[in-house]
Amino acid sequence: MDNLYIAPTPSTPEVDFKFDLHTLSLRGESYPENAAAFYGGVIGPLKDYLAQLDGGKVEVNIALAYFNSSSTKMLFNLIDVLNAAVEAGNQVALHWFHDEEDDTILEFGQELSEDFPAITFSSHSVRPG
Amino acid sequence: MCSVLIADKYGAFFDLARQHRVIFYYVGYFSQNIIAAMAEAVKLQLEVAGVAGPTRRKLFSSFVEMAQNIIHYSSDSLTPGRQENNELRHGSVCIRQECDGSFLLLCANPVEPHIAEDLRCKLEALREMTFDEIKQAYRQTLREETPQGSKGAGIGLLTVARDAREPLEFDFDVTDGVGQPPVFYLKAAI
Repeated sequence: MDNLYIAPTPSTPEVDFKFDLHTLSLRGESYPENAAAFYGGVIGPLKDYLAQLDGGKVEVNIALAYFNSSSTKMLFNLIDVLNAAVEAGNQVALHWFHDEEDDTILEFGQELSEDFPAITFSSHSVRPG
Repeated sequence: MCSVLIADKYGAFFDLARQHRVIFYYVGYFSQNIIAAMAEAVKLQLEVAGVAGPTRRKLFSSFVEMAQNIIHYSSDSLTPGRQENNELRHGSVCIRQECDGSFLLLCANPVEPHIAEDLRCKLEALREMTFDEIKQAYRQTLREETPQGSKGAGIGLLTVARDAREPLEFDFDVTDGVGQPPVFYLKAAI
């Protein structure tokens, strides 16, 4: 299936889902007006991709400097979809990047790793700049 | 000569803003593009002012939540009610610094009476909660289905409450006249 690329805007992240390489990345800031609509367009193709995987290995990179409340909810849904893929027999490694001073994003990552223990989770602290 | 007249006539307005240490103020229509531009302005302003990183992030987050609440819930709208994207709605938002160096975020917008009732319930409940209870409610709401009619996943106010130093304060001003929607005010100390 086709890769999914959405260029970043000031309030939406860069979506770079290289399905052919099994590498999925989200980078930037996320506070769209309608997070459900934005992430609906991301989670849909992600589900299609995961549905055709069988014993696959997927690497996910999430490096968001800021996300608003409705994006937080959608990210939770996105990770839930990845978790379902692990339960279906695939492997998912999630790299969670947070600014070293940003406890909110660090803690949200920790919560995700507790809620979805099947995903191989690693947290990376990044220096601002 | 004109400049003297301007200073005489309008200087008081700018002085007042300085006295109140207004860092940012906007009144008018809110769109997503306007919010993104304001977010950039606020970010720059706080950086230049040397505000500590964690405080800056909390202010920025609360600012975006308040501004997006205006887009989602102000009753003064230029776009049809059923439209869910590219909306234009009216309100105001203000960031000012207190004498002790902390910050206040204020926003105001008219709301329909049923939204006012809903906000009152939510905010009264939030004001009773301890910090740990707010965090707990936040976690729980994140894992629930989005409530009907909510465009912000129902956790916008929880997000602001989580980042505030004190319980959120709110008010409804009904003095605009009979038949006019009440004006909702929200205040967060960061």
